[in-house]
Amino acid sequence: MSAGIFPLVFSSDEVMLLTAIGLGFLFGFSLERGGFGNARKLAAQFYLYDMTVFKVMFTAILVAMVGLYTLQGLGLMDLSRLWINETFVWAQLVGGFLLGVGFIMSGLCPGTSVVSAASGRWDAVVTFVGIFVGTAVFAVVVDLFPSLNALYHGGSMGVSLLHEIFGVPPLVFALGVLVMAGAGFVGAEKVERIFAAKYRAVELTPPSRPRVKYTLVGTFAVVALLGLGIRPGTPGLPPVQVASIAPLSLAEAIIGKRPGMMILDLRADAADADKRIPGSYPASTPEEAKGLLAVAPTGGSVVLVDEEGAMREIPADWRRDVRYEWLQDGFLGWEVRVLTPALPGDTQEDREWAARQGQISAYFSGAAVQAVDVAAPPPMAGAGGEKPKKKGGC
Amino acid sequence: MDTSTKAESGAKPYWNPYLAGVLLGLTLLATFVIAGQGLGATALPKRLLALIGLGVAPEWTASNPSLQGYVAGGVNPLRNWLVVEVVGVFLGGFIGAVSAGRFRSTVEKGPRIGVRGRLAYAFAGGVIMGFAAALARGCTSGQALSGGATLATGSWLFMLMVFAGGYSVAYFVRRQWT
Repeated sequence: MSAGIFPLVFSSDEVMLLTAIGLGFLFGFSLERGGFGNARKLAAQFYLYDMTVFKVMFTAILVAMVGLYTLQGLGLMDLSRLWINETFVWAQLVGGFLLGVGFIMSGLCPGTSVVSAASGRWDAVVTFVGIFVGTAVFAVVVDLFPSLNALYHGGSMGVSLLHEIFGVPPLVFALGVLVMAGAGFVGAEKVERIFAAKYRAVELTPPSRPRVKYTLVGTFAVVALLGLGIRPGTPGLPPVQVASIAPLSLAEAIIGKRPGMMILDLRADAADADKRIPGSYPASTPEEAKGLLAVAPTGGSVVLVDEEGAMREIPADWRRDVRYEWLQDGFLGWEVRVLTPALPGDTQEDREWAARQGQISAYFSGAAVQAVDVAAPPPMAGAGGEKPKKKGGC
Repeated sequence: MDTSTKAESGAKPYWNPYLAGVLLGLTLLATFVIAGQGLGATALPKRLLALIGLGVAPEWTASNPSLQGYVAGGVNPLRNWLVVEVVGVFLGGFIGAVSAGRFRSTVEKGPRIGVRGRLAYAFAGGVIMGFAAALARGCTSGQALSGGATLATGSWLFMLMVFAGGYSVAYFVRRQWT
């Protein structure tokens, strides 16, 4: 998506860094007040008598996830400018498991160790020192052992998003996560009650009133559902208008060098220059198409060529300040109506038309194909001029 | 330092976990909207290490797979949004604890373990987490929370494995907590 006012752009790095203090403060404050500054409370997650970690973490993920993708759906958030964690499957599977092991040993994770240290806990200070040492150990050994370096880069997928893997819109996926998290919350409350009786809970979290929980999950579900009503992409904007252009009109336009025209060949095998409309650009992939569109003149026309003229939808994230025209019957239409000379008809009008078509056909079938601007037949005006050079049998 | 294991008396109760989650989520959303990235914690130790590395062994640091990204272009590795953010986390945690009457110089532990034992576990756990976060390119904040909210595939795998790792070892270290 090309538009979107978020994330914000700052005038200077200093201003940007100032926001880090404020947002970090809110993060640390919320963590502390949620109970994340206490190693015993965090560790309890793994003995099932206090599921605060699960509840806080998943609620936070749900809020940010639904908010993020709703903003994107509204066209306000430009995901391409958002830094998203790259996926390295093996590094993250192994790293995640090890982090979980370290988590239950220290009772804190890196972020909460900062909060816990800030509230006076010496075990947290020691944990943070340990994290620094562990970071250094990794930097040293990853340099020494190529196998660890291979694991570090193992399973690289670049920026990979779950809903894209499942092939569903992000808010549909978010709704699925919401349903599972809701069930998880209900389950967590039950499990907590069972195990709190077994261990004496060290520090009880205020019991969460079910109404709060259900209201929250319900609210997210409504927001996500409303978001689904929005067309993903550039909702709120009318669909892009697409005209169609007849193959012969396109041929005339090419000969007449219509200004501001760009022809994109979307066929999978568009790379072969000999099998393309002269002057067209191969754009087999969406990326290629978008890259070429970026240089098309504003207000100009973009002619799209596919196999048989079947596609009529313009992707929502394409430029909206150019005019799109689909070639009628696609490249097949070009072959039949332009490259194949027409039979002369009976009437004078028909004969004139056939003569002109023959000129065009000869022009595009002949040696001039590679260089459009060489020996172009004169524009339609007199329907005369060059003698049509008939080619092929008809 | 005081090693009391009793619940603090007089401290404000913790927030309802779901409300704490909503506030945390809104903070994270604001971070995406304002800063164009998520929250994190291990950027500070990693970038601090890169800075020390620059002073001690500049060539090694510049070619180290884990650190080279932070020192490219001759910029100060600590001049970074996430580093400043961690300073903010510390301040927020401090103000949060003090204003709730929870700030106390103490060691959190269960009744069946001594202070030294607890600190040894905390250090060992820290080393493992530092290694793990460097390997996975992020921790519970940077991967599980922030990456999870963007629906990044690797972040969800990471998060599931954090819980798997914690639950599979919890039994063996229970003496610390219960």
